[in-house]
Amino acid sequence: MKSGQSGDCRVRINVDGVLRTVVYGYPCSIHIDPIEKKPFFHFLPGTTALSLATVGCNLHCLNCQNWEISQTNPEQSEVVFCPPEKLVSLAKENNCASIAYTYTDPIVYYEYTYDTSKLARKAGLRNVLVTAGYANPQPWKELLKVVDAATIDLKGITEEFYRNICSATLKPIQDNLVATKASGVELEVSNLIIPTLNDKTEDIRELVRWIKANLGGDTPLHFLGFFPRYKMRHLPPTSAETLETAHEIAVAEGMQCVYIGNIMSRQGQNTYCPGCKNLLIERSGYIVLQCRVKDGCCPDCGKAIYGVWK
Amino acid sequence: MTRRKFIKYAAETAVAIVAGAWMLVEKTAARVFVRAERIGKYPGKVKSLSGINTQGRWSG
Repeated sequence: MKSGQSGDCRVRINVDGVLRTVVYGYPCSIHIDPIEKKPFFHFLPGTTALSLATVGCNLHCLNCQNWEISQTNPEQSEVVFCPPEKLVSLAKENNCASIAYTYTDPIVYYEYTYDTSKLARKAGLRNVLVTAGYANPQPWKELLKVVDAATIDLKGITEEFYRNICSATLKPIQDNLVATKASGVELEVSNLIIPTLNDKTEDIRELVRWIKANLGGDTPLHFLGFFPRYKMRHLPPTSAETLETAHEIAVAEGMQCVYIGNIMSRQGQNTYCPGCKNLLIERSGYIVLQCRVKDGCCPDCGKAIYGVWK
Repeated sequence: MTRRKFIKYAAETAVAIVAGAWMLVEKTAARVFVRAERIGKYPGKVKSLSGINTQGRWSG
């Protein structure tokens, strides 16, 4: 970046040789959401998360579902002033169990995420990331030290998809997925299925096989439905049949906890014990109707269930 | 030049060379982790906080 220029994410500027972040303390969106909305299905079910984002993103997905905030300039945005201390007090006042860095990508407001996470931890709150995981290994590992869970969107399984659709590359994301699972941070993976682009059964099978081989069959996997947005308004929404087929492929390949999101479907809403197959968590949309997980285990067969339960 | 003055001069020169080389390496080496500084004023519109109890309209 030359002096006066901003980076690809729009929110970092070179000011006389010093890298400045424009968005530190200035979220464009703050809401209290169910943790299931992120989606997190194995992290403190039934709790709420103070959820925030700043503008900007380091990816430029043609299908971005939140493009109005992710692909805009700070100059054109409306924000609130909310420094880390204020976020922590808001989360406490509203009985949130966690703070979620979400909606755009916390990588672009890294310093804000990092500082808030440290403060939140001291105040007894958890921190969760909803991200594409497109970061250099060193800052990513630093961030993992202060967060408790991450939903990482693995958008496709080919370099071609990442380059053509997301303006990104696949390898750093795969490396960060592996690093996250190895770090002990609770990891869930999401995959937005876009008709004609990544909905072929062989693509889905390849993605699932990579997850199982590198992250383990216990990693919760969410297949999400696409809606026509941003530069992909010409494509139809993902059908329930496609999502259900993806669910069936993942289960057949040995994934233990597979879910369907962004669409009302009877399949892929609940959590079943990978051991005895009994119902563990019953959901309706983002509402948890019952959670039978006891001390992180199935109450019927005693099998340990991957996740953070208390 | 006395022996003491020569040693002082040589030591100062060595320190200057090492410091200069270090600064050069720091400037030219690729940095993988640069923490950005905060900027004083937000360039967009800053409004007051409201409506946080409603569910976010954004995905995620």
